[in-house]
Amino acid sequence: MSLLFPKWTNALPTVGAVAALLGASGVVGGFWYYATPKFYDAGYMPTQPGGGFSHQIHAGKLGMDCRYCHTKVEQSPEANIPNVATCIGCHADGRLTKLAVEPKHKERTDFIRQAYNANQSIEWRRIHKLPDYVRNFPHATHIRAGVSCYSCHGQIDAMPIVAQAQPLSMGWCLDCHRNPEASLVSPDKVTQLEWVKKHLDERAGQGDAETKALVEKLRLNPPENCGACHY
Amino acid sequence: MSSIHPDQVTAQQLAGLSRLPDRGTPAPGTGDGSLIDDPSVRSPLVLNERTFKEVTDIVCGYAENKPGKWWLPALMISGSIAGIGGLAILYLVITGIGTWGLNNQVDWAWDITNFVFWIGIGHAGTLISAILCLLKQKWRTAVNRSAEAMTIFAVICAATFPGIHIGRQWMAWFLPPLPNANNIWPNFKSPLLWDVFAISTYGTVSALFWFMGMIPDLATLRDRADMRLRASKTGPIIAPFIPIRVDAVRAYVYGFLSLGWRFSSRHWHRYEAAYLVLAGISTPLVLSVHSIVSFDFATSILPGWHTTIFPPYFVAGAIFGGFAMVLLLLIPARELFPNMKDFITLKHMENMAKIILVTGSMVGFAYSMEFFIAWYSGNEYEAHVFKFNRAIPTWMSDKGAPYWWAYWAMIFCNVVSPQVFWMRKFRTSPAAIFAVSFLVTIGMWFERFVIIVTSLHRAFLPGEWGMFFPTAVDITTFIASCGVFLTLFLIFLKFLPVFAIAELKAVMPQASPHHHADGHDAGHGHGGGDHSKGGHH
Repeated sequence: MSLLFPKWTNALPTVGAVAALLGASGVVGGFWYYATPKFYDAGYMPTQPGGGFSHQIHAGKLGMDCRYCHTKVEQSPEANIPNVATCIGCHADGRLTKLAVEPKHKERTDFIRQAYNANQSIEWRRIHKLPDYVRNFPHATHIRAGVSCYSCHGQIDAMPIVAQAQPLSMGWCLDCHRNPEASLVSPDKVTQLEWVKKHLDERAGQGDAETKALVEKLRLNPPENCGACHY
Repeated sequence: MSSIHPDQVTAQQLAGLSRLPDRGTPAPGTGDGSLIDDPSVRSPLVLNERTFKEVTDIVCGYAENKPGKWWLPALMISGSIAGIGGLAILYLVITGIGTWGLNNQVDWAWDITNFVFWIGIGHAGTLISAILCLLKQKWRTAVNRSAEAMTIFAVICAATFPGIHIGRQWMAWFLPPLPNANNIWPNFKSPLLWDVFAISTYGTVSALFWFMGMIPDLATLRDRADMRLRASKTGPIIAPFIPIRVDAVRAYVYGFLSLGWRFSSRHWHRYEAAYLVLAGISTPLVLSVHSIVSFDFATSILPGWHTTIFPPYFVAGAIFGGFAMVLLLLIPARELFPNMKDFITLKHMENMAKIILVTGSMVGFAYSMEFFIAWYSGNEYEAHVFKFNRAIPTWMSDKGAPYWWAYWAMIFCNVVSPQVFWMRKFRTSPAAIFAVSFLVTIGMWFERFVIIVTSLHRAFLPGEWGMFFPTAVDITTFIASCGVFLTLFLIFLKFLPVFAIAELKAVMPQASPHHHADGHDAGHGHGGGDHSKGGHH
């Protein structure tokens, strides 16, 4: 018997097997971590026209309700983006007397009045977007069931520029559909984001007597079948 | 002709281009000497009193010398057919599975027919290597290596079809249970998932069995190449102006594959233990794989599929079709490599013809039981499928379906044609066995077509009834799968040990402790120039 291969090659099968195992788990794990929406979708924060609409100022500091602008969220699947007329309701020349005298603010909001006068829309960039093969996410249904804006959009009223807070992946949807009690609040409080955050944090992923009663009362049974979300 | 053998005549003989000299003439009435009627005499399993050295030389010769003139053209033709199939699959992936003749009513047709056809063919290899090993059927040693190779190539062809029949082939990674962002997990209640596990287990175990069995023979090829390297400073090189010797490539490639095998007693001991363990693992696979394939149909509610007889019926059919394919490959190989006739005798062929007769009759019994149950159950839908979708021709009844000819082609090929093997004349004639094997292979393809398409095309609602017509892509893909199969088998014949050398030697008379060397001592070559067999038997 000749010596074709040096002695270290005896280790090749073991090294190869371990490397294949590690490589395979690395590929699967790498895809699972880096190529799924919780990594590459969450945190999406595109540049918006005019430097962006600060939800922190409007919804947080000034205390405006979500539904002041997203008017149809309780009736429609879409939480509509307001038209320029809604903005101009406050930002028309001479309306905000206290701020209007500050040239910096005036300069910053000029694009609203320009668009209004030119009879054009402002092209806000959409952030929360589901794939085409998913039906429109029914906002009205979810709000009626006591799912707060906070559960999907995060604490919007603290965001100077809105970013995607949750992965919006199918698995993430199903997590809530399979255990709805953990995320529900009383339907009349769904837009009180600061309160909701504090309340849900205190419950720490658990339902309480109130949400159990809510599930009973509304006979909530979130669907898990394919056709519920896909055509 | 390669120059590694100094003697041109011997080289030609060893390459299978001409026969080694015959020794003696077989007794009259025994065919090639293996068809012995006397029950007190065992048929010889290796003819022409071959010596151990000759067996090693013959088997290694196939891999070491240039093959016959037919080999390269055959490889190029089958390889081109396989390549055209690759283009057909590319077109299918780009365009969608509508390029097959599939429609809303017949949504499985040639794709699944081909899948079941190929996966069934593999079963003969597993039966030969596992069950016949445990039953100590010594004749298996001449055919097990090539049958196992055939099994793996058939599994490769089979696995392609479910892979490409899903509409979005790039989503095939959903088949194994992998973590994903959709919380989608394979449905463990679905026989289609069991199929994924059955086929991948089957492929893995068969490949392991095949490879492990080859290790000692790969080591023999390695050592012979290495000996030639050391014996001479010059030899054939891999290409003009590239001064790397072919034997150097052989020594390292076969050396890599033989995993450091040294023919030590310890190696043989572990080898045989591992062989037995793998035979034990493979034995249930012979039954389980095709049972699970049959569940793809049997667990549905479609009349014609919803049948409890399917698992045993499919297994019998798989072994039936598999042996036909083994014979379809080995009978021409036996003619093209003349020395193979010393190892694959008429007795081997007769044994396999008998298995075809038995399994063919089992399949025939299953066909008749389907009709009996369709009648006995009183289920009018099932009765309709068997009576009108399959059996009754259109010219006998208005209710008859246009696929009746496929059903009767199947009956003729699978049930009628093997019956000639009741006559010894036919089951010992390679030409007759080849003809029947050819018919059986066609019949087994039609069996799957009949089961799938005739059941689907006219189901519960007459308003949905339709027909399936294959397109050019259908036909190309199927023929190409035959091309892939043949290409792989031709490569196997040229580059790998086609017989299990040590096992073949173990069933030769010289291996028997009662054997006495009388008269032709030169033939027995214990020791001699065959350095590869030290330490075993």
